[in-house]
Amino acid sequence: MEASITLKKVGKLVKDKTILASLTFGVERGSLVAIIGDNEAGKSMLLKVISGVEYQEYGQVFINGLDSKKRRLEVMSSIGFVPHEIDLDPWLTVEQNIQFIGLLYRIDTETLNTRMVQLARDLHIIPFLKSMVSDISPGIIKKAMVIRSLIHDPDILIMDDPTAFMDAESYRHTWDLLLRLRGEKTILYVSQSLQEVEEAHDRILVLEDGRITLDGSLDKLLGSTFEYHQFQIEFEELSKNLYNQLSKLPKVKNVSRIGNSIHFYGKERNVFFDVLNAATSAIMKDISVKKLGLQDLMDAKYAKDGIH
Amino acid sequence: MIKALLLRRYWLLRHRFLSTISFIILIPIVFHFSITKVMENILPLSSNNVAYEIWVFPAIIFLIASSSTFAIIYRDFFDLRIHKISFLPITLAPYSKTRLIIGFIITSIIESFFYVIIAMIILNILIIEPLNWQVFLITPIFTFIYTFLLANVVVTFSIISERIFTFLSLSIILFFFIIFGNGFIIDFDLFPHMMGLFLSYNPLSIILSELRNILFFNNIDWKLISIPIFVSVSWTWFNGNLLKRKLKQ
Repeated sequence: MEASITLKKVGKLVKDKTILASLTFGVERGSLVAIIGDNEAGKSMLLKVISGVEYQEYGQVFINGLDSKKRRLEVMSSIGFVPHEIDLDPWLTVEQNIQFIGLLYRIDTETLNTRMVQLARDLHIIPFLKSMVSDISPGIIKKAMVIRSLIHDPDILIMDDPTAFMDAESYRHTWDLLLRLRGEKTILYVSQSLQEVEEAHDRILVLEDGRITLDGSLDKLLGSTFEYHQFQIEFEELSKNLYNQLSKLPKVKNVSRIGNSIHFYGKERNVFFDVLNAATSAIMKDISVKKLGLQDLMDAKYAKDGIH
Repeated sequence: MIKALLLRRYWLLRHRFLSTISFIILIPIVFHFSITKVMENILPLSSNNVAYEIWVFPAIIFLIASSSTFAIIYRDFFDLRIHKISFLPITLAPYSKTRLIIGFIITSIIESFFYVIIAMIILNILIIEPLNWQVFLITPIFTFIYTFLLANVVVTFSIISERIFTFLSLSIILFFFIIFGNGFIIDFDLFPHMMGLFLSYNPLSIILSELRNILFFNNIDWKLISIPIFVSVSWTWFNGNLLKRKLKQ
């Protein structure tokens, strides 16, 4: 597929500190890409560089094939940006904030109003359109910021924590809209919520100290890093013999024990049944199977050591 | 872009209608009684034998334009930028930084123009000697040139300042310089000779002295008046580049 965003050896310095270090990657048109990483990993800066909020010191960013530095005025019309901070003008209404940006992008009034009302309906903020921004909650404001970023119908939507400050219902409405836009628009976002990223992505970029350390879908990332499932069986009494016997079973990885409980990892679920068969003679009190997720991936121990 | 910026100023004005209208009405009255009426007792006539209250009238209009320009640019350009409110999306719109600066300046000129017209009507009531129609026609044109230059100075302050303290300090110094160092309320003839001569050639004072020349003596030096216009245009370009560097965009 055609690349919507392409970075070539992009580097960004803030004073003398390297924030982004020679990043090279492309984002396919219409894909939904999530960026995760620790604080200070460079996630927000990466979004700022791609969206033109701040230029990189080194390398090139191409938006729809155009160099974002040299062809800025053409490129900016194709990007919608939602910053992390709440930044609507508090002394205007929600509607006026959105209309102002729409007019800046030369959208005619009729199209602007139709689009605004449609998006406001999708995000359930119609009753707040006439409210002063200073009088409404941050979750509603964040939804208005999403509308503002979409008002000029950009090809690329870049969002820094798009659902920050939102309650569960607002979160659902926002993602309903964004998932509907997937395919039509390229969406690149940063989130602190790993659950959110697990639920909504075509691809995940893991950033660490300004470098991409992992890149791919969740299944690919988990598969390449460590096994899929974590198993736990609690016995009434876990003898040394039984523990040794279970540890030596093929495909059973990283076995450990805590009291009468045995913990291990297995790539396939049937590993669990092999263990259960081998342990039929012992009395079991509790069993659990957990599919590993991003949280486990981000856990420093596993991310660095993996499963041996 | 200008339509969007103007519409935003209109919305803001509508939301703060009472406070704005009070500001518009009070400020010429305050200036008239605290400057014109007081100074008139010290200097009844200017060095060119023009009644002080008539002589100082263009300066009062310029001071009103200065106040509104400061207020508008402080709000739209400095306050919103340092507090990261609504400024970023404006800079991401597909316009060059110089065009953005022009947009902000023209918006402030148009709004100030509106305040100046109201101030002229109020002052016309307060001034004993009635003003002729020429004053109403020519003063706004020169106020336009003056505001264009002053707005550029305030935009530069807004870009280089990161703290309210710095911006206000610079603005207070400039305001004092405008009032006392540009022949606004005290004729340059009363300054030490060299100092008066030097100050009379600064672009801000050229605009006022040329306005007085055309209003009171019906003559104008086009070469002189072109200096502040040239300075303003160059300064706008400079501000555009300064903003580009500041934002790293």
